[in-house]
Amino acid sequence: MYVYRIMLFLVFGGYLLSPLLMSGWANPEMAWYRPFLIWAGLIALTLWLEKKRKLDERR
Amino acid sequence: MSLDLFGLMWLGTGYLSLLFLCATAVDRGWLPQRLVRHPAVHTLALGVYASAWAIHGSLEFASRYGFGYLAYYLGVAGAFLLASVLLVPIQRLTRTHQLSSLADLFAFRFRSRWVGTLMTVVSLLAVLPLLALQIQTMGEAIHRLSGSASPSLLALGFSLLIALFAMLFGARHLDQHARHDGLLVAIALESVVKLVAMLALGGIALFSVFNGPADLQSWLDGAGHVHQTRMAQLDAGQWRTLLLLFFAAAFLMPHMFHVTFAEPLDRRTLLQSSWALPLFLLLMALPIPLIIWASQRLGVDEAGTGAAYLAFQLSSAGWVQGLAFIAGLAAASGTMIIISLALSGMVLNHMVLVAHPPIAQPDLYGWLRWLRRGLIAAVIVAGWLFYRLVGVYHDLSALGLASFVGIAQCLPGMLALLYWPGANRKGMVSGLSVGVVIWLAGLWVPLLTSYQGLVLLPPGFAALAGDPAWYSVALVSLAANILTFILVSLATPTSTGERAAAEACSVDAVVRPMRLPLAAANGAEFKQRLSPALGQDVASREVDRALEALAISPLEARPYALRRLRDRIQANLSGLMGPSVAQDIVDRCLPYQHDGPVASEDIHFVENRLEAYRSRLTGLARELDSLRRYHRRTLTRLPVGLCAFGEDGELLMWNDALASLSGISGDAVLGAHRDTLPSPWGELLGEILATPQERLYKKPVRLARGEHFLTLHRAGLQGEQGEDGGHVILVEDHSDMKWLEDELIHATRLASIGQLATGVAHEIGNPVTGISSLAQNLRHDSDDPATRETAEQIQSLTDRISQIVGSLVGFAHGGRHVTGGDLARTEMKTVIDEALHLIRLARSGDAIDYVTHCGAEHAVLGDAQRLQQVMINLLSNARDASEAGARVIIEAEAQAPHLHLSITDQGSGIDPAVRDHLFEPFTTTKPAGEGTGLGLPLVYSIIAEHNGHIDIESPPAGRASGTRIHLWLPLYRDCDESPHEPDPDR
Repeated sequence: MYVYRIMLFLVFGGYLLSPLLMSGWANPEMAWYRPFLIWAGLIALTLWLEKKRKLDERR
Repeated sequence: MSLDLFGLMWLGTGYLSLLFLCATAVDRGWLPQRLVRHPAVHTLALGVYASAWAIHGSLEFASRYGFGYLAYYLGVAGAFLLASVLLVPIQRLTRTHQLSSLADLFAFRFRSRWVGTLMTVVSLLAVLPLLALQIQTMGEAIHRLSGSASPSLLALGFSLLIALFAMLFGARHLDQHARHDGLLVAIALESVVKLVAMLALGGIALFSVFNGPADLQSWLDGAGHVHQTRMAQLDAGQWRTLLLLFFAAAFLMPHMFHVTFAEPLDRRTLLQSSWALPLFLLLMALPIPLIIWASQRLGVDEAGTGAAYLAFQLSSAGWVQGLAFIAGLAAASGTMIIISLALSGMVLNHMVLVAHPPIAQPDLYGWLRWLRRGLIAAVIVAGWLFYRLVGVYHDLSALGLASFVGIAQCLPGMLALLYWPGANRKGMVSGLSVGVVIWLAGLWVPLLTSYQGLVLLPPGFAALAGDPAWYSVALVSLAANILTFILVSLATPTSTGERAAAEACSVDAVVRPMRLPLAAANGAEFKQRLSPALGQDVASREVDRALEALAISPLEARPYALRRLRDRIQANLSGLMGPSVAQDIVDRCLPYQHDGPVASEDIHFVENRLEAYRSRLTGLARELDSLRRYHRRTLTRLPVGLCAFGEDGELLMWNDALASLSGISGDAVLGAHRDTLPSPWGELLGEILATPQERLYKKPVRLARGEHFLTLHRAGLQGEQGEDGGHVILVEDHSDMKWLEDELIHATRLASIGQLATGVAHEIGNPVTGISSLAQNLRHDSDDPATRETAEQIQSLTDRISQIVGSLVGFAHGGRHVTGGDLARTEMKTVIDEALHLIRLARSGDAIDYVTHCGAEHAVLGDAQRLQQVMINLLSNARDASEAGARVIIEAEAQAPHLHLSITDQGSGIDPAVRDHLFEPFTTTKPAGEGTGLGLPLVYSIIAEHNGHIDIESPPAGRASGTRIHLWLPLYRDCDESPHEPDPDR
């Protein structure tokens, strides 16, 4: 259940900070794929949390 | 144009035929179940979210707002990231109550069929622009690729093919919660097709138009930079609003709700999709900017609506354009199929069946199936008409955003449904109505006309005046919706039914159903009562289906089981015709008895639920649950029988000890009324509950294992306010104690006889001595040989009388405990002779031949009387085991420092299983009522007191049958002479 709280925190934190993603489109200093890298990192984090949740529930 | 109309028709029809083939292969079992039921299939089917918007709408949006197009993907990714706290509770609700649509869920929570109807109307209005968007992309693609003048008719053709597919494979099962394997696999295939097509288009852009990522980056830093700086930017507010709209769409859009909750997706797969679906969407989103930048580099950048179809411009090669066409078709067709299925179910349950209830429909299943198919076609045709009348004049963003803002009006209701039990129907309906009116006026109606939308900006929202209409309308409508919802809910009362449903829906609540008796007494009566509403055949099938699912007998009469059966039937009917109609039928046909005792909570059901939800409990709740489980375990494993009854006489607990004693498992009787418990428990427990005393002492009860004596204790379970809360009953098995008491009484009686015998012996002794003296005198005084012989006989008989009396007195004194001081030289021959003498007094001992091989030299250190009792017990056993005329041999042999005695009979021997327990009390091989099971334990005890030991050999070595008892007693030595006086009784 504690994992759920981390997910809630992650989603709402991401929601508030997400406008920063858009600034990259016209920004020559930023690699075009950076938003996708951040997104992929989020997916990896979710996958890890999902495994943690399974362990948490098994206990 | 590289593709002609014929080629496009062939491509489109061929692709849709592939879907038919795939679904048919699954339904006919041509594909292995392992593949069909693989979790990845369901996760890919969730990719239905990526509609034509994901292909064409995203291109159009990205060409205007850059990375703003990502909101469409990130919104839904956020919703699935919260699967465990948002989607799993919704899934639990829909699964438990067989709710297959948003309208079902709202109608269930807010306890009104009209709420369901309102939700259906809102969903229909919200989804029409999205359906029109799908069809428009198909028509526009055909027009752009083939130059056809009548793309709308060709789009209609494709739409009808899609409708046919949905009718064939989506309405196969009437139960909307049944898994449509063929449909799911086909939708998963569509996801794979559109993903592969998009990745291929992205690859072409990156490696064909550009020379790889490095070239792309250098173009972006150089020539491409101008294009990017010309692009408009979404401000943070607009971006967040878009995220919110797409977040809501992830579980509110009818097609997403259908695939996520109506198809039986297991919880593990749903949680897996929390990362798998965002990964799929990431791959879908990745090619979008590549296609745009490639088309900009190629100089085919088209402004406005043309941007949506930039993928067709990547190459003049027919296969590339075909790939783009198939990507769009796969995205549009999947969405149209699932939307038509979801909406047809909603319209059927909340509009058609509400207006025309299926009372005693002759062929209910067939009627429902064809009605559903008709509605599927009607929904698709409605979408096409909307496209023809309205959609064709608007770009994809206008259509899509109108749809997403509309469906987001259900978001406050959904969140309240899960997290705010205080919300009520009036609040929800008021808030939704206000929000929908603002949305209709601001975005939906303007789609129908050429006029600007009516955007009402309340005071404080003036800053939104220059923003896009979708943004202003979304903010104002949602704010008005939420505010009205909260205020009206707080200001108006909530009905009891709504409160109960709110608790059932609330994330933190465990459903607490009440225990009310049903009017119907068993499964047969259920069928009879449902027949007027459903028809005899359907009623019978539905009841049988529920009985089978619950694995209970049609004759089951337990109130608990009948309540579960009623719930199951309601849930099944809900899957068939919606919760409103199902609840109406079940309430009418299977009513509760409200004139009985006051209902209380169904503890057994609550406990089952708590066990099921244990993994979701945390903190204090988890600690309390652990405490509950500990107390529960204590009661269950209590080594005394325990049962508990509710105040209505329903059995709530039946612990392991009682199950063992009665031979009836708890599962078989829990939830039964006390009067229906198997005999003799119904009568026995009824008696303790009816009697004013709180205890029944040693009630004789005949159970499977013979007669038992049970003591029952009863205690009331008053509630905190002193109200009746039922009873708890302890059941103690006092059979052994009762037997011991009987034996004690018997032993006491024998002891009395022993005392009496002593007195009688004393009284008889004097006259017998007198008779003996007189007979002796007569013998001396008389010379008559006949008289002398008579006198001798009299003297002999009086000696015998004295000997008998002496033996009786000796036996009566034989029960005391042996101490070291009582031990003296004891000739075993004398002991054995006296024991045999006593045994022969019993008539049954006459027929046995006792052979003694024991001499006067065989003396032991012991208590003669106690040893006599030993010999009597052992010889009695040997006699009882022997046939008439058999021989019992008693042998003695000195084996220093012991005397070895053996008693061998020719009986049937002793069962090896019993032999090891013969020295334990109450173990006997004799028929019931003949043996006490105390003889050998007593023997063992006396021998042990003499520092000897005993063993049993059965059969004796070298023999086929019989038993030999071996005794080892300490041999007498001269130094063992006791200083005490000999026993005066001897």
